[in-house]
Amino acid sequence: MTIALSNVAIAVISTTLQLSPFYLFAGMGEIVSEKSGVANLGLEGIMLMSLVTTFIVDYATGNPWIALFAAIGTAGVIGAVFAFFAIQVRLDQIALGLAIYLFGLGFSLIVFSTAYPSGLTPNYVSLPPIFSGWGNVPVIGTILLKQNVLVYISIVVVVMTALFLDRTSLGLRVRAVGENPKAADNMGVSVIKVRFLATLFGALMFGVAGSYFAGNFVPGFQTDIITGRGFIVLAMIYFANWKPYRALFAALSFNLVYALQNEYISISGSSVASVSTLFNMLPYVFLLALIPVFGRKARMPKFLLKPYRKG
Amino acid sequence: MHGNTQGLRWLQATAYNVLAVGLGILAGLALVVYAGGNIEVALSSLFLNPITSSHGIQQIFVLFVMFYTMALGVGLALKAGLWNIGAQGQFLTGMVMVFFVYIYLGFLPWPVLYASMILGAAIGGLLWITVPTILRVKFGANEIVVTILLNVVATNFGFYMLSGPIKSPGTALGFPITTELPARFQIPNIIASVPITYAVPATIAIGIILYFLVERTPFRVKANTVGESTETARYAGISIPRVMTITMLAAGALAGLAGAIYIMGYRYELDIGSFSTNYGLLAIIVALVGRKHMLGIGIAAFFFAYITFGAESMAVATSVNSVVVFAMEGVMMIGILMGNYLTERKKAT
Repeated sequence: MTIALSNVAIAVISTTLQLSPFYLFAGMGEIVSEKSGVANLGLEGIMLMSLVTTFIVDYATGNPWIALFAAIGTAGVIGAVFAFFAIQVRLDQIALGLAIYLFGLGFSLIVFSTAYPSGLTPNYVSLPPIFSGWGNVPVIGTILLKQNVLVYISIVVVVMTALFLDRTSLGLRVRAVGENPKAADNMGVSVIKVRFLATLFGALMFGVAGSYFAGNFVPGFQTDIITGRGFIVLAMIYFANWKPYRALFAALSFNLVYALQNEYISISGSSVASVSTLFNMLPYVFLLALIPVFGRKARMPKFLLKPYRKG
Repeated sequence: MHGNTQGLRWLQATAYNVLAVGLGILAGLALVVYAGGNIEVALSSLFLNPITSSHGIQQIFVLFVMFYTMALGVGLALKAGLWNIGAQGQFLTGMVMVFFVYIYLGFLPWPVLYASMILGAAIGGLLWITVPTILRVKFGANEIVVTILLNVVATNFGFYMLSGPIKSPGTALGFPITTELPARFQIPNIIASVPITYAVPATIAIGIILYFLVERTPFRVKANTVGESTETARYAGISIPRVMTITMLAAGALAGLAGAIYIMGYRYELDIGSFSTNYGLLAIIVALVGRKHMLGIGIAAFFFAYITFGAESMAVATSVNSVVVFAMEGVMMIGILMGNYLTERKKAT
């Protein structure tokens, strides 16, 4: 009984960690972007395009690293288009984000089904675990050493994002153009340029998240495969009050609830579909319940969603 | 003189919108060609299919009713500066409620039950938006985040209801589908041989009533003030929580109602396919194109119904996946926003 329980614990912790990079990369991207005053609601569309790029390039080259960078490139292109319309042209960020989402939702599947008319997903070569030889080490091996290298990189990115926003002068400028663009402008900061860089960084991070989705969530590709998980990131960083470490906590606890209900369903071997669908709601309801508790103190960047016009 | 410039601006705005739509269609055609479809087939099916078949007429009016009902709610909330990204979730809840009432209040006599199913769907949508409304009004929590979260919850909740409480007892292997509503619980056609139901005039009536209630009363000014600046609204003595609550709850009820009309006027049964329709998201575009105006939204809804069905039949005719519609409408939306921007800029100078 005790052995079974520890196995469950290992499985739960392992799943929690395995799912985290998706939310962490995307979360850090959105935090930096929103701190500068630009909310990117097109994130799931960008992720879908990056996901498709990953599949196609991974299959063509057999090299998951090249696929990852190609995905980041795709995200960068769409991110630059978004940034141009949102920052330079000053279109409504929410409407523009939803337009980018719709575009990505449609375009990704057209590209995928044109590349693979059979509809079958090619074999996906995943990024290697960081210490591949040590996977047999009990407990630690399963929980930590067998994880994809991006799991570790994502934690590093959280730390770097926190340091960047708090300790660097560019980070200060990012916060300044989101809190008080007029004052920042008077101090000689180029609001447009800083916002553009922050938004582009955000998009690149969505590219990593979208690429990580391949092979770590579902094996193949189909319409709307991310099913709202990208949008969940918006709720996570809202709950986290735009603080990187709190976003890490939000992502881990969300994944923990997910992993627990997932494990419960598979152990109970529930053949009753209704029970599992009810449990699937838990992580989202959990996140929702956190909002009135922690979200009360959430204070969004003062000029979030507000375009800046010089002069 | 003033009327003249206004007319000119209207003409200009229309020209930009037409241009934006043209751009979207061009993008759609490019994708069809890229995916190996025939461009002539694509063009003729895009423009002619919606009006040359009885199926096309039916689809256009079904989509029109969906878009108009939901976009009225989205537009109403937008007037008060609130983004209801959750119309899809409220719509799903409405569809589920139709069957919930049909099964669990089945003892009621026919006319009462019929009305209860429609009312139940509206109440379902209203309850679903109560959460973001309370969180927004009482706790100041962002409604965009909460309505998005609730969309995912609604999908899971719908799956749960489909796989248990409202599942058809007839399906042996637990296939998640409801029973089909019998004919007396369906919304009938106005003329038996023409597939246009009473839902169409009913929806238009709702739009006109809302026009008189919203656009022709001081409420419009109140909502707009809240939407533009809560500071000004507070100064003017407008009750912000009241305006927010009214517009949000109305938006939820309308999206729930759309669920009832979709089921009772078209689908008659509920399965997982109805969950991935994305109408709630398209309703946001319709509300924006209709410029949040209760009648303008109607025109935009009809137009988008035409384009959406045209694009869907184009996809079928050229054997390209129908998600091409989303890509098209994404491009169209950027174009329309761009057009709005150019018109507004002219006005400012």
